[in-house]
Amino acid sequence: MVIKLLVSAFCNAALAAGLYAAEKKTSYKKLPYLVRQVITGVLFGIIAIYSSTSAGGVDIGGAIMNVRDASPLCAGLIFGGPSGIIAGVIGGSYRYFAVYLGIAGAYTQIACALSTVMVGFIAAALRKFMFDDKKPTWSYGVGIAMICEILHMLMIFVTNMEDVATAFSFVKKCTLPMVLGNGVAVGAALILVSLMKKERRRRNKSQKQISQTFQCWLLVCIVIAFVATNIFSSFLQTKMSEIQTESIIQTNIEDVHQDVLDASDESLLNKVTQIREEYLRGESVTKLAEKYNVIEVNIIDSKGIIVDTNNEQYLGYVMASGEQSAEFMVLLKGDKKEYIQDYRPTSYDNKTYRKYGALALPDGGFIQVGYDASQFGEDIEIFVGKVAKNRHIGNEGFIVICDERLNIVTKNSEDYGKNIKTVGIEADIENAVSGEVFEVDVKGEPHLCTFSFVEGYYVIGVMPVSEAMYMKNLSLYVNVFMGIIIFSVLFILIYFLIKRVVIDNIRKINQTLSQITSGNLNLTVDVRTNEEFASLSDDINSTVSTLKDYIAQAAARIDQELEYAKEIQLSAMPSVFPPYPERRDFMIYALMRAAKEVGGDFYDFYLIGDNQLAFLIADVSGKGIPAAMFMMKAKTIIKDLAESGLEPDEVFTRANEKLCENNDAGMFVTCWLGILNLSTGALKFANAGHNPPVVCRNNGEIEYIKARSGLVLAGMEGIKYRKNEMQLEVGDRIYLYTDGVTEATNSSNELYGEERLKNMISAAGEIEPEKLCAYIEKSVDEFVGEAPQFDDITMLAITYNGHGKIEMESVELESKLDSVALAVDFVSNLMAKRQIEQKLISKVSIAIDEIVSNIARYSGASKIIVETGVCEEKVVIRFLDDGKPYNPTHQKEPDITLSASERQEGGLGVYMVKKMMDVLKYQYLDGQNVLTIEKNL
Amino acid sequence: MNIEKIIENEKVTLKLEGRLDTQTAPQFEQEIDGIEEGCKELILDMNALAYVSSAGLRVILKAQKYMNTKGAMKLIGVNENVMEVFEITGFLDILTIE
Repeated sequence: MVIKLLVSAFCNAALAAGLYAAEKKTSYKKLPYLVRQVITGVLFGIIAIYSSTSAGGVDIGGAIMNVRDASPLCAGLIFGGPSGIIAGVIGGSYRYFAVYLGIAGAYTQIACALSTVMVGFIAAALRKFMFDDKKPTWSYGVGIAMICEILHMLMIFVTNMEDVATAFSFVKKCTLPMVLGNGVAVGAALILVSLMKKERRRRNKSQKQISQTFQCWLLVCIVIAFVATNIFSSFLQTKMSEIQTESIIQTNIEDVHQDVLDASDESLLNKVTQIREEYLRGESVTKLAEKYNVIEVNIIDSKGIIVDTNNEQYLGYVMASGEQSAEFMVLLKGDKKEYIQDYRPTSYDNKTYRKYGALALPDGGFIQVGYDASQFGEDIEIFVGKVAKNRHIGNEGFIVICDERLNIVTKNSEDYGKNIKTVGIEADIENAVSGEVFEVDVKGEPHLCTFSFVEGYYVIGVMPVSEAMYMKNLSLYVNVFMGIIIFSVLFILIYFLIKRVVIDNIRKINQTLSQITSGNLNLTVDVRTNEEFASLSDDINSTVSTLKDYIAQAAARIDQELEYAKEIQLSAMPSVFPPYPERRDFMIYALMRAAKEVGGDFYDFYLIGDNQLAFLIADVSGKGIPAAMFMMKAKTIIKDLAESGLEPDEVFTRANEKLCENNDAGMFVTCWLGILNLSTGALKFANAGHNPPVVCRNNGEIEYIKARSGLVLAGMEGIKYRKNEMQLEVGDRIYLYTDGVTEATNSSNELYGEERLKNMISAAGEIEPEKLCAYIEKSVDEFVGEAPQFDDITMLAITYNGHGKIEMESVELESKLDSVALAVDFVSNLMAKRQIEQKLISKVSIAIDEIVSNIARYSGASKIIVETGVCEEKVVIRFLDDGKPYNPTHQKEPDITLSASERQEGGLGVYMVKKMMDVLKYQYLDGQNVLTIEKNL
Repeated sequence: MNIEKIIENEKVTLKLEGRLDTQTAPQFEQEIDGIEEGCKELILDMNALAYVSSAGLRVILKAQKYMNTKGAMKLIGVNENVMEVFEITGFLDILTIE
């Protein structure tokens, strides 16, 4: 029979495994969820039906013991709620209607059908709310299956309230096999599926989940509470049942006891009356004793002394001398006429048992008659034989009466005359205490037994323990079942509550936190279901926001520092144009646009003596601070060497040696250096791996200066660089650039390229260096479009004019308002000497007035140097002061459209200078503000 | 610079001579501050004025604002240089120039 249940159980497991495998198949997986659920539900429903038949279950008479409930559980827990419900409904419906087909018992019809449907719903609900729509571990499955079966058992009671005994007999038989069978079925299915999934427990043992710890302890507490409650109530009920049974047995025995006593008393009284009558007629006591077959006939006088007896030895015995005999003295007081004593040892000799009866005599004294057991036994035997015949104790209990030799005397009993041991009552009556309840075996079954000894008979009552404990067992079963259900519901409820109140919230917070730690600092934790979580959320949020502030501050500081680095790098390159306003023999312009951060490009130019211009462009490998620092080093070294008058090739050869020293970072720099003799136009140059510059001849020819290049600087020690020379004519131009220009990339990944650069330079025509640089920059920007710029863009252009330079004169003034007139006079006198028209002098004078008064008022400088030079084309004036750095070209323009009342004072001066002069340039050099203005003549 | 002041009833004429710049503007400002309460018309004669710097403009603006509450202010004899300054700075729109 166990085999049948196991086969049904494993049918479930096999189906679960099969369906699980199918779910992995893409073709099955493609089916909609609900279709799959219906398929699963129906298949499990079929298994449920199979389990319910006599093929899959065990017939126990009126009901089939089965594992039907396992099917909806497997479907619901492993595959999803809907399939569980469908399987439950199918299994339940079959069970309900099977009764009408005559293939299932009606007794548990409703209970079984209902519980199977319920189990389907329970599985669905548990999966959804307790297991987050995932299948549970096998241990949970086994627990759930067992509890569901217990619910099933309880349902049998509930639906059969009017016939609890039958229900109980079913439950007693079914409970263990069905609970275990269903547990095995669901457990096996879950284990099989887990094995197929190759689930490995990856959990760290030292870090239990809260829910696990919680469940563990909750389970421990609930089991302890459950066991304690049931042990206590079981103990209590056992005790109560015992007491109740004892009292039932004892009451019955008491009744029989009293009946026997009454019968024997009555019989003796009859005898004594007859003997008294005959004695009064003069019959001798000896004859009377013989005639009535009594052992003693005593005559006691009014003094209580035996005066006549059939027994010589008692003659003269004083009745008051013994406790037993003294009881008869009441007859002498005249209150009572008769006295019957029960069977007991005599006062005269306590080994002799007698029953005495006495009647008062008319002339005082009384006659006493003594019986021994055999004598009165004959008198009452018929009565005693009948007294217990129809008596029952409870349903199965009974009373037997035996004589002193423990032979049954109960009449009409088939065991009459037999010793109680021979009929199966294994009682050691002789050594037991009368009135106490003890356990004996009757025909092998344990019975509760008690007895009483009356008039030489043992009245023995027995009752089966099973009957005595029936109510107790029934209520214990129901209590245990109810307890399991209640505690399970409690467990699930508390678990669910904790999950909702604590675990879900913690999970929510953790999710947000992990997003925050992965960089999204803008998220906030917002769990407000209760005060504790609200305050935790607030704390986390304020921590994150503080952190965010710190990060923002740090980022701002780094940005600021990088910005400073960029500033320093940029300020290391000459950035004021025209750099040599007094020189008209060449024009030079350079621009550098760093891509986001500090880069490695640089340009430089400087006069060597009065007649040579050195200019270079370079690109350091890499980017960022290291490249910037290497660039500064390279720039300084090259400048030092070039200014010492060395030829370009020698500059590179020596610079390479110096840059190779301690170049652990392995950085290098490409560089193109030219030194132009301004009076002859002879250009000497050297190239260390840099892009060839473009030369534009005054006749319109444009070409790359394709001289053979040397290795990059700092690339390898001991390199010798080649010297190259070329001749520039008046009007020739040279354009230098870095690869940021030619390798600028547009969104379709095309390079700007050398060809395009050459064409653009050609297209620009004969324009000044500044305009050429702006033109190319704009062209590159248009080419790149929306694509991001990754490289620095650096370029430098020179036009060789071949003319002389402007002679400058200078004056040093104190930084005060009185100096304004001095400065104006200094310049206007110089201009007047050159016969420059008054109108221009006035304009220049206004500009000087504005600039000098501003310096005197606001800069805090100690002195102002005014330099001025005039040539054919223009007048150049330069103001140098050691005051606070201030760049007037950055000043906001005033709104000149406002009415008189809206006008604010200030701001007009610089604006006027800008408007009236042709050039206004500012630079900060060697701790001095250098402001240059130019006015074309 | 030289400033000549002529008072005719409610009309005050200031003849400005030389440069109205940073140094001379305070002097001009004193004159403006010293204009009588009863003055309804202020004439600035600029025939002899070489040029005006922003410091001068400041005082002219002040005078204009003051006269806006009293009556009227008029500039006469404005030369090309000064006119250019007025033009650049948008003062043309504010001032009345004859």
